Amino acid sequence: MRLSFQQELDELEASVQDEGELVLRSLRGAIKALQAQDVELADEVIAFDDEIDRRFVGIEEGIQTLLARQTPVAVDLRLVLAMLHVNLHLERAGDYCVTIAKLVKLTQALEGDPTLIEGLEEVGGRAEEMLQVALASFAARDLDEAKRLVELDEHIDAANRRVVYDVLGIGGEPDRREWGLRMILVSRCLERIGDHAVDVGEQTAYIVTGEFREFTDASHPDAKLSS
Amino acid sequence: MAVDVRLDELSAWFGNHQAFADITFTVPERHVTAIIGPSGCGKSTLLRCINRMHEVVPRARHGGSVYLGREEIYGAHVDPVSVRRRVGMVFQRPNPFPTMSIYDNVAAGIKLNGVRHRKGELDGLVESSLQSAGLWNEVRNRLKKAAGDLSGGQQQRLCIAGAIAVEPQVLLMDAPASALDPQSTLRIEDLMAELKQQYTIVIVTHNMQQAARVADWTAFMTVLEEGEPGRLVEFDRTETIFTNPGNERTQAYVTGRFG
Repeated sequence: MRLSFQQELDELEASVQDEGELVLRSLRGAIKALQAQDVELADEVIAFDDEIDRRFVGIEEGIQTLLARQTPVAVDLRLVLAMLHVNLHLERAGDYCVTIAKLVKLTQALEGDPTLIEGLEEVGGRAEEMLQVALASFAARDLDEAKRLVELDEHIDAANRRVVYDVLGIGGEPDRREWGLRMILVSRCLERIGDHAVDVGEQTAYIVTGEFREFTDASHPDAKLSS
Repeated sequence: MAVDVRLDELSAWFGNHQAFADITFTVPERHVTAIIGPSGCGKSTLLRCINRMHEVVPRARHGGSVYLGREEIYGAHVDPVSVRRRVGMVFQRPNPFPTMSIYDNVAAGIKLNGVRHRKGELDGLVESSLQSAGLWNEVRNRLKKAAGDLSGGQQQRLCIAGAIAVEPQVLLMDAPASALDPQSTLRIEDLMAELKQQYTIVIVTHNMQQAARVADWTAFMTVLEEGEPGRLVEFDRTETIFTNPGNERTQAYVTGRFG
């Protein structure tokens, strides 16, 4: 039965889910800091990334040890390889939260645009929802739920485009233009977090089907996963 | 009570042939330590030096010291029989008394070692030993049946039950799963993970993956030049040996490029 192996595998997967929770906390913190232009909270988000990084390294080491000592095969191998990818995607999502927090600090002295902030809140909310769906469908090995990320990705892309469009109409004042340009980067970071969530969903599909296929191909966006 | 086992400049000979030389490392208590290395490097002989079974071979001798906790087992007044009671051993091939009952196979070690007991206590000891060896549920209704009727894997777990019935401090296992099928092998490995909570375990194995799976610590021995005695190349945590060994020879061995 390989009890200790199963236990190590379960612990690693729990650790990946914990890492996901940490990233979600960081994301919520970054969005709140943005809404309130709260520099202290932004600093906390930046410092909190060390915790995500520690979790990332711990999972990397755990996977290395598991591969070297337990030689997993079949579904166990797929799970271990998928966790290797998911770990990296989550860590990257955490890095985007840090970038958002840094942009909040950079724009602290600039006046924001309430309508645009609302647009960013929408992008942020969608990024959070996508991460939650990605983590839950991974835990449940739920292929249908994972595939739903494609549709959610279209929504977050559209919300991101709206932010860019709003910034273009912001006007000619240098301070407002600077603020707007930095907010385009914030929106882009949030949209990229959504992309990483889709990548996590693809890893769920890999575990379930044994085949690795991208849900959508960026160079052929109309070619979606058919089954 | 489990103890650590300290080997200090340990060497062993069969007549003029030196099996291994100058081995020093400490087996930590309540952990599984694996000894790996190519055939002929002296790892089984090393194991037998830890419970003074090496010396029963004619013309065999040793040098250096072995400590169980603080006690040197080759000390002048140490009785080898008492050492063997404290250091149990499980062999490559399951070796129960085939015509003797399952119950008596476990009880034999207790009786032979002169452990005092009452009738009811003996029943309890046999049951708890079989439970610890993960065999109780399979044999509880046929304790009076001959041990030879059990499968190979069950016989090996019966031998483990016999070994732990006398409550040793250390358990030595000489390739305990090499004669077993994969499922029985995994059961023995699971069992080791449980037994290490209570005992210090040293296992010799030819199966590197088994060492990787079950051992907390791993010692790699090899013969550096033909005709030379075996030597310890590296002793470290198992994950280090199998992910980032410190010695090129260890790396070559665990990656299958040598030995």
